Amino acid sequence: MAGPDSAKPIRDGQLGWNPVANGEQMHALEFENVTKRYGGAVVVDDMTFTVQPGRVTGFLGPNGAGKSTTMKILLDLASADAGRASIGGTRYRDLADPARTVGAILEANAFHPARTGRNHLRILADSGGHSQDRIDELLDLVGLADAADKKAGAYSLGMRQRLGLAAAVLADPPVLVLDEPSNGLDPQGIRWMRDLLRQRAEMGNTVFVSSHLLAEVEHLADEVVVISRGRLVASGAISDLQTAGTLVRTPTPERLSEILKAAGGGVEAREGALIVQGLAIADIGDRAHEAGIALHELTSLAGSLEELFLGWTELESPDDSTREGVTP
Amino acid sequence: MKWLRLVRGELRKLTTTRMPWAFVVVLVVVAAVNAFAIVLGTDADGSKDFIATAEDQRSLLAFGANAMVITGFFGSIAVSREYGHGTVVPMFLTTPRRVRAVLAQLTAVFVGGGALGLVGAGLIIVTGAISIPAVDFEFVLSVGTITRILAAATLAGGLGAVLGGGIGALVRNTGGAVVGVVLLLLILPSLAPQFGSQAASWIPGTLVNVISGVGDDPALAGALLALAAWSLIPAAIGLTAVQKRDVV
Repeated sequence: MAGPDSAKPIRDGQLGWNPVANGEQMHALEFENVTKRYGGAVVVDDMTFTVQPGRVTGFLGPNGAGKSTTMKILLDLASADAGRASIGGTRYRDLADPARTVGAILEANAFHPARTGRNHLRILADSGGHSQDRIDELLDLVGLADAADKKAGAYSLGMRQRLGLAAAVLADPPVLVLDEPSNGLDPQGIRWMRDLLRQRAEMGNTVFVSSHLLAEVEHLADEVVVISRGRLVASGAISDLQTAGTLVRTPTPERLSEILKAAGGGVEAREGALIVQGLAIADIGDRAHEAGIALHELTSLAGSLEELFLGWTELESPDDSTREGVTP
Repeated sequence: MKWLRLVRGELRKLTTTRMPWAFVVVLVVVAAVNAFAIVLGTDADGSKDFIATAEDQRSLLAFGANAMVITGFFGSIAVSREYGHGTVVPMFLTTPRRVRAVLAQLTAVFVGGGALGLVGAGLIIVTGAISIPAVDFEFVLSVGTITRILAAATLAGGLGAVLGGGIGALVRNTGGAVVGVVLLLLILPSLAPQFGSQAASWIPGTLVNVISGVGDDPALAGALLALAAWSLIPAAIGLTAVQKRDVV
């Protein structure tokens, strides 16, 4: 059975495909007012965001937030009750060759337990019209060459994730949609996967990865989309989000809050202070000065992704103003 | 041809697990039981008149009705476990046009079921050809009769698998799909006489016997159409359900 560190390092050009160099179309993933209900429960609520090509975008949210459902809607495995999700402006079902456009992992256990890893990939190659020659190369790349002819039911969770990754990149697609791909991977495996996804993004691919491992996303992703209870609560570049907030203390918080909101900032009162997002720290100071408002504290808030995530998801409420305030 | 690629992938699915081989073992057991019945069985008067004539032997060795039930289970398990194991997800990612994907799946189980029907009928005929002379009777079936029995079992096997596959796609649970096949191919036909005197002529067992040459009511063309309907209506219902529902 393959050892934990048996995946091969990814060399430049090993995956042999570069959409930018080849002049291929780059694919943004667009979600426009997507809503999904199961029974009476709204699991995805009016979700609008875009995942850009050439970037790794982390998709974060607590368990049950609607991440998997959102991905399934994008891939036409579930239908939206309202709104539209598209890949490069085209719905998944209307793509000319979806299997060559999008590689996906949605469930770590989507294998027949009595089928070997090699045969799993052969079936996908048959169905998608991909070369069988690539299978050995991929099994070697993901560190499953020695276990390729063992039944997938005997694989560890990490090995199944590796097989899923091999399946996802089988056709060298320009878009990767991966639901919790690092689950069950050992540290070497996580590092290997991170290198793989970063390389794909640098090639101009669109990489959209859900995870609940915040530290991992912090290392991996350029951008994040954060949802809670089916609603978008934050999105943007991690570097921007991590310095997006400013703490302001003033004896007249209501008046300053009105001024800052009028200037387009998001303002939230918390523990006797205001948390302001979407306005530069100097801008806040200047506007307070112009209005003659005294400031007792004006501090840039920089936090770890974990701190920010907990703040966003705890703040989330049915009140729209909270959500908009946090989204830069 | 994209669709042929899909069929090839679905056929590889069927041939890369032991499930079809388990059904071959069942067929071997059925053939062995049939051979024992020929060797050891007697009529009520202690004679072996039940294997004396060509008609008797054809009736005894026509395997189509049994083939349809067995491959009904085969098709239902083959399709429903795709949902249980989540392997429908890569299938529908490869082909988001779900009708096309399910038709490829049903085509593959039709081929697999047909092969099982052919193998089952072949085993029954071979064991019959060995066991009937062993009890001092002549094996009198002509090549034409044997060919028709084999062809009928192949067709019934294919259609039984499509029927099971349709139920599997509808129910998506292996246990439930098998129960569905039992209801449709075993319990419902046994209730047919209660629906009128002619109803028994249109149940799968009777129709397959007509196609095998064992019976003549209804006419062959009608039997072929009716048997196709028994198979294709559940398949169409399953396909419609797949089209309308979320995959996962």
